[in-house]
Order: sequence, then C-alpha cells, then structure tokens
Amino acid sequence: MTATAPTTPSPYRVTTGRVLRSEWHKLRSLRSTWITLLSAAALVLGVGLVMGTTYTSDGGDSDIDTVVLVLYGSLLGQLCVVVLGILVTAGEYSTGMIRASLTVVPRRLPVLRAKAAVFTAVAFTTMLATDLVTFLAAQLFLHDTDQAAGLTDPGVLRAIAGSAAGVTLLSLIALGLGCALRSVPGSIGAFIGGVLVLPEVLGMLPYDAVDSALTYFPTQAAGALGSSTPLPGATAPGPALLALCLWAGASLAAAALVLRRRDA
Amino acid sequence: MIRAYELTKRYGDTTVVHGLDLTVHPGTVTGFLGPNGAGKSTTLRMLLGLDAPTRGRSTIGGRDYTTHPAPLTEVGALLEARSVHPGRTAFHHLMALAHTHGIPRGRVERVLDMVGLTGAAHRRVKGFSLGMGQRLGIAAALLGDPATLILDEPVNGLDPEGVLWIRTLLTSLAAEGRTVLVSSHLMSEMALTADHLVVIGRGRLLADTTVDALIRDAGGAFVKVVTPQADTLRTLLAGPGVEVGTDTDTGPDHLVVRGTDAAHIGRTAAAHGIPLLELTPQQVSLEQAFMDLTQESVDHRTTAPLTGASA
Repeated sequence: MTATAPTTPSPYRVTTGRVLRSEWHKLRSLRSTWITLLSAAALVLGVGLVMGTTYTSDGGDSDIDTVVLVLYGSLLGQLCVVVLGILVTAGEYSTGMIRASLTVVPRRLPVLRAKAAVFTAVAFTTMLATDLVTFLAAQLFLHDTDQAAGLTDPGVLRAIAGSAAGVTLLSLIALGLGCALRSVPGSIGAFIGGVLVLPEVLGMLPYDAVDSALTYFPTQAAGALGSSTPLPGATAPGPALLALCLWAGASLAAAALVLRRRDA
Repeated sequence: MIRAYELTKRYGDTTVVHGLDLTVHPGTVTGFLGPNGAGKSTTLRMLLGLDAPTRGRSTIGGRDYTTHPAPLTEVGALLEARSVHPGRTAFHHLMALAHTHGIPRGRVERVLDMVGLTGAAHRRVKGFSLGMGQRLGIAAALLGDPATLILDEPVNGLDPEGVLWIRTLLTSLAAEGRTVLVSSHLMSEMALTADHLVVIGRGRLLADTTVDALIRDAGGAFVKVVTPQADTLRTLLAGPGVEVGTDTDTGPDHLVVRGTDAAHIGRTAAAHGIPLLELTPQQVSLEQAFMDLTQESVDHRTTAPLTGASA
C-alpha cells in the first residue's frame, strides 16, 4: 500500500475463520498450554497404568466399571484442563493481552466464541487420545483379570469419549468463569468452590429432591458420562451430556454478557 | 480524522471525562496533553471502544470504531498499560494479532524490522525492557498500515535514541497523510513532536491550539534588561508595539521588554552611552504555559512554589 493512500481498499478484514486462526495461534504459542495439557495426559496415563498393574480380581473392586477404573486419573487430569480453560480467558485479563485482543476485534463476542471453539477442539482431542491410549495400555495388564475389556465391548468406546467430553465441558465452564471473573486465582477458587465442593455440601442435605437434582450437576453428570455401565444413582449418559452442555452454555452466556457490558 | 462529540465518562460520582468535543485532523501530529489523571487514557480507551462512554460518542474515519470491518487498517493503537502476554514471543504476539485480519507473515516481519526488534523477535516478551515493550506496542500499531494512529505515552521508558526515533516516525507518518494522536504529560516532548495541541485537565477541554499560539498566549518572548538608567532606557525604547515593564520581584533597574529584540535594545543603549548589566532574550517555556493552563485542574499541587519564594 502506498504511503499517501492509507484509505485504498484493503484485502484485510476480520472474519470468523481468521479469529479462530488467531486464537489457535495464541493457544499454541504459550508454554502454559503445553504444560497443562501434557500434565493432564501424564496424570491420566500414569494413574491408569498404576490401576492396571496393581489390580487383582480378588481385591474387592470387581464392581467398579472398567472405564471408570482405568481412567481414574481423569479426576486429577481434569484439574489441569480446567486451569488451562481459565488461563485462556482470565489469563488475558491478568496480562493485559485482552486490550490488544479487543482493540483488534472490537465486536468482542467473536473472540469469546473463537476461544471456546478452539479450546473445545484442543481439549477434547487431547483427552480422547489420552483416554484411548490409557485404556489400551492399562488393558495390557488387565487381560487376565475380571476387568478385562476391549474397545468394542458394549459402552466402552462411548464411555471413553464421554470421559473426554466430560472433562472438556467441565473445563468450558471454567473458561466461561475466567472470562466473567477476569481473575485467574478468583476463577480457580470459584470453580473449586462452586463446581467441585458445592455439590458435595448440598449432597449432605437430607432431601431426596436435592439428591436427584445433584445428579445433573456438572461433576456428577461428567461422572455418569465416563462409565460404560450405568452408575448407581446417576443419570443416563444422554441426559448427563445434555445437562453438562447446558451448564457450559450458561457459563459462556454469562461470560458473553459480561464481555459485552463491562469496560475492558 | 478522529471526532468526539460530548464524550463523557463517569465512574459513580466521579466524572473522569466531561463533555469532550474533539477533532483530530489528518496530516499533522496532534499532541494530547494533560496532567496525570486528566482523563487522557480514558478518552483514548473510549475512542477505541474499550470503555463505553456514559454519554456522547466518537468516530474514527467517519464511523464508530467498533463497527469497522478491519479495525487494524483503520487505527493502530498503543495503550499506556502493556497489552501483551509476557509468555509469548514478540513474533507470535504480532502473528496472533495479524491472523485476525489475514495479514501475512511478511508484514509481521516488516514491522518487527521497522521498530528494530528483528533480533529479539523470538524472545519471550517477559524478558523485554520497557523500551523494547514500547517498540513491540508500536509494531502492533503499525501492523495494518492504519490511516490513524493513537499512541498513549509512546516515549515512556524509551532511551534518548528511542525518543528521537519515535519523533521521526510520528512526523513521517503524519507527513504521509495519516492522523496521529499522541498523548503525553510532558509538554517539552510534545513541543518537539506535535504541531497541534489538545490540552485537557480534569476531563475538560482546556485548549485546542498550536504550539506557537500556546506560547504566544502565555506571554511569548521577551528580553530581560538590567541597567542603572532604567528610566532613560525605558523612554528611548518606547514606541508602537513595544511594551516595557518593570520586574517587580527584583527591583526598579530590572526591565522586561516585549515587542523588540535584544539587538535593538543593545544598539539603542550603546548609542546613548547607557551601561547594560544584563541583556537576556527569554521565552515563556512551554512547561510554564502548560502549567498556567492546567494549574486550576491538577489534583495534587504543592501549596508553595518550590523556587523564587522571595518578596
């Protein structure tokens, strides 16, 4: 472009695809992304291998679902992915990067949409691959026990995908919280308190209605998704997935509202 | 062209920007001046859509900034607070911003080169000095080859070479027909860079003028003369447009002469055998002009002058 005519038509324009590409570039160009994802994968795989190598048929754990047993490390791994979800949004506020992001895309909402989409794809792919590898690796040690199972057994693939989806959707709730609260420690606290601890506290209340409502809470729903056999007292995978999607949607809707309304 | 109409920002009971009307023209460097806390950054953030005005509106290039299909090509902005993730390298920071507009890698490399960061392009921003951070911010502002540049305190943290570089850059960008708005709380810096000045204090417009006019209005140039024959010289110098005053602070033999130059005063005195003990051309400093203009509006002011506490 010539210097004297900065107003000539330019091929540069903000599009949905380009904002997605920008968010993908942002995600992959930070060390924290790789550290949190590798930590999550290592925890799931490590715990899975421990479960596989130490399991004995007469140890009293025969009633545990195979996928739940093998992917027990997801409970730890999900915390890493949750932190990544928070870093994706709240991390931009704590560093000031958000001012650059919103100056470049001043309509704002495309940024949140792209962040959520890219994060969902990356988190789900990582967890699905990790869960598959972990399942197969653990089964190498479980083939002569009563927990022996194959990918083609009823419910197994669905539960492995469900486990990955559960972690992804829980982390998407965290991503929304990070955008709404704009603070990394604040969002981690809110997630631990509101999503992880609150249902446990509510569960102590002596009301049946509360107990049945709790089965649709994020962690319970995620648990139901990751089991190849129906868990006692848990909801079915279909409603569990729907409930989790609604929780994640609500969190992102709150985030969108705050993003639009509040000064950056 | 930047225009603001009745731009107002209120936080609770505090009005930070008060009905600001503003026009910033292309082709010149416009300095946006005010003491700390005058509302400069808030005004710039409203222009860029980061803060929503309580009242009023603004346009850049004729439209609300937030509705522009390619904001980076319309406005390049450097904000006062650092707007970079410290864990990312300079190159990846710029590339991530460039992707939103489909700006190619070549342009990113070119702006890195323009600001002198090519050698540091693949270092993480965490380790950057304040000056390098400013250079990276300016690189981001130049990415889309924008028609308008809005820079908040760009010389902050730059070494003398960097300051000179910014001045040259701003002047050449304006010469290319771009609109350049630069904020500062340092009048001396603006005097060297800006052609036009917009001065605000406590969120209100105090002056919309040129550097020359500001100095002229503040008292302009004068000559300080010390002579034992003050009354004789006063009579000799008297003429149309010449104004001779006495400096009341220092005594009756100190004169303040406006409207003529030191050479004329010296020759006149010599022709009449009047001894001159001092003959000093002086100019009201821009700082002084700026302080006169804004002293009503600064929040924190020393109650007694630090110097000249005589008489």
